[in-house]
Amino acid sequence: MARLSPPDLVLLQIESMPMTAYSRYIGRRFLLLLITVFISMTVVFFVPRMVPGEPMTAIFANMASVGGSVNAQAMIAEYRARFGLDEPLWIQYISFWRELLRGNMGISISNFPAPVSQLLLRALPWTIGLLTITTILSWLLGSVVGAAIGWRGRKAGAFRFIVPIALLLYTTPYYILALILIFLFAFIWPIFPLSGAYAVGSRPGFTVDFILDVLHHAMLPALSILLVSLGWWFLSMRSLIIALKGEDYILNAEAMGLREQRIMWGYAFRNALLPQATGFAIAMGHIVGGALITEVIFAYPGVGYQVYNGIKSLDYPLIQGGVLMIILSVALANFAIDIAYPLIDPRIRYAGSGGK
Amino acid sequence: MAVVPLQEQLTQGRHGLLWDLLRNRSFTVGAIVFLTMLLVSLIAGRFIPPELKMAGSFPPRQPPLQGTLLGTTALGQSVAIQLTEAIPNSILIGLIAATVGTVLGALIGFTAGYFGGWIDAVLRMLIDVFLSVPSLLFLILISALMRSVNVVTLAVIIGAFAWPSPARQVRAQVLSLKERGFVQLALLSGMGGMEIVVRELIPHMAQWLGANFVNAFIAAVLAESGLSIIGLGPQRQMTLGMMIYWALSYSAIFQNLWWWWMAPVVTLIVLFMALYLIHIGLDEVSNPRLRIL
Repeated sequence: MARLSPPDLVLLQIESMPMTAYSRYIGRRFLLLLITVFISMTVVFFVPRMVPGEPMTAIFANMASVGGSVNAQAMIAEYRARFGLDEPLWIQYISFWRELLRGNMGISISNFPAPVSQLLLRALPWTIGLLTITTILSWLLGSVVGAAIGWRGRKAGAFRFIVPIALLLYTTPYYILALILIFLFAFIWPIFPLSGAYAVGSRPGFTVDFILDVLHHAMLPALSILLVSLGWWFLSMRSLIIALKGEDYILNAEAMGLREQRIMWGYAFRNALLPQATGFAIAMGHIVGGALITEVIFAYPGVGYQVYNGIKSLDYPLIQGGVLMIILSVALANFAIDIAYPLIDPRIRYAGSGGK
Repeated sequence: MAVVPLQEQLTQGRHGLLWDLLRNRSFTVGAIVFLTMLLVSLIAGRFIPPELKMAGSFPPRQPPLQGTLLGTTALGQSVAIQLTEAIPNSILIGLIAATVGTVLGALIGFTAGYFGGWIDAVLRMLIDVFLSVPSLLFLILISALMRSVNVVTLAVIIGAFAWPSPARQVRAQVLSLKERGFVQLALLSGMGGMEIVVRELIPHMAQWLGANFVNAFIAAVLAESGLSIIGLGPQRQMTLGMMIYWALSYSAIFQNLWWWWMAPVVTLIVLFMALYLIHIGLDEVSNPRLRIL
C-alpha cells in the first residue's frame, strides 16, 4: 500500500498512538456503518410498500400464461398470506429484521419460488467480474499515464493531447458512452454482441469456449465503464502530481542530484498514491451497485439488473436483498478506509471531536 | 471598528471575482456555450407553432437537411424542435435540483455548525450516512415507484439527495468561521444569530457555494439522463434523457436513424463539457494554485 513517510516513521506513529482513542474512533465508525445499513434498509422497506401496486400480479400473470387462473382473487390472497403481506406493516417490519438477522432474505415474488439469496448469489459473480477487472485496469492505467503526463507538464509535447481526451471521456456519462460503443461495435462494425452475458443456449461451465464467449459479451459493457473511469483516474493523478511538484522534498531530491525517473516514481508518484488509493477503495465499494444503468442497457445479469427488475415488478424481498448487498459493500469499503487511513497517514488525527 | 474595512474588502473582493471570472478562459468558454444553448433553444421554442411539435407533423424517418434541420423521428417529429424543448427542460432540472440540494445542504450545515452539541452530533451522523449511500440507487427506487414523474418532481427528488456534501462543507466552514475575529466582533457588537449568518457568513461562503452549485447542477443533469434512459424519466415531457429513451425504444440505433439518438447524445456531451469548464473556471479563480487545464 501507499506510504507517506519512511517505514520507520510510520511504525513510530503507530507505537505512539493511544490505543483507546483509536479503538473509540473505530467503534464510532462501526456504529456509523450499522446506522447506515439500518436507515437504508428502513427506507427500502417502507418506500415500496407505500406506493399503490400489487406485487402478486407477477405471479398471477405467470399462472395465467400457463393457463391456470381459475380463482385468481383467492389465489392472490393466499399468496399474500404466504408472504406475510396481509399483516400490519409494523409486524412485517419486525419480522423482516428478525429474518434478516438470521441470514434469511426471503423468497422472491417475481421469481417465485426462488430464494432471494440464490438469485443474488447467481448475479454477484457477473457484477464483480465485470467491475473488478475494469476498476483495477482503469486505475492502474490512469494513474501511471496521469503521473507520467503530469510530471512532464508542458514538456510532454504531443502527449498533451491526452488531457482533452481524458476530459471528454470523464465528462461523458458511461451509459452515453455505452450507446456510442453499441453503435460502433454492434451496428456499424458488428463484432460484439449487443446484450447478455453469454450466448443464449450455451452451457455455463469452465470450458474454453464458454469463457471466450463470456469475455466477448463483456467487452462492450466493460469498455464503457473502463474508458470513463480511465479519464477520471488520469485527471486526478495528473493534478495530484502537478500539485506535488512544488513540494520541498521534491526540490530537495532534485538538489541531491537524483535521477529524474527516481524522483518521479519514488517520490512524487508514491506520495500521490495515498489519495489515489483512497479513491480506489471507494470505487471498489461501489462495484456491486455502480454499473446499474450499464447492466440494464446491456441486459447484463448482474446485481444491478436484478434490483432493477425487482423494482419494476414490486418484488419487495428482491429489492431489499439487492439494496442490502449494494449498501453493505459501500459501507464496508468506507469502514475499511476509516480503519486503515490513520494507520497509513500519520497526519490524520483520529481522536477527539476534530474528525471528519 | 474593524468591521468597516472588512466590509469594504468584501465588496472589493466580489467585484474582483467577477472580473477574474470573465478573464478566465475555461469559465468564459463554458459560460458562452451554455448560455448560447439555453438562449437559442428558448428563443426558437417560442417561435415554433405548437402544431409542429406533435407527432406526424413531418414525414417520418427523414435524415437531416432534407426538409428539417436535424431530421425526424420514427413518429414524424422534428428532432430539432424536440431539442428546443429538451434543452431548457434538462437545464431546468439541473437548476431546481441544484437549488434544492444547495439550500437544503446549506441550512443543515449551518444548523449543525452553528448550534453544535447534540444537534450537530445527530446531523453529522445523518450527513455521514447519506454521503456513503449511493444516491442513484434510491433515485431509481423512488422514481420507479412514483410511476409517473414530471420535470419538476423529478428535479425535486434529485435535489433531495444532493444535500449531504454541501451540508458537510458548510458545517466545516461555519465551525472555522465561528472562531474568527470578525464573527466574534459581530457577536460582541450585538448582532443577532441570523444577522451574523446573513451578513458575515454567507458572503464568505458565496464563492464556495457557487462552485458547489455547478457541481450539483452537473450531477442532477447526469442523474436525469441516466434515470430517463432506463425509462424512469418524465414520460410526457421532453428532456435530453427522454429523447434518448424514445430513440432507443424505437431501436433507432439498429434502424440506422443515427440523427435521432445522436442529436441528444452530442447535446448532452457538449452541455457537460460546458458545465465542467465553468466548474474548472470557478475553481481556478477561487483557488489560483489550482490550474487544471
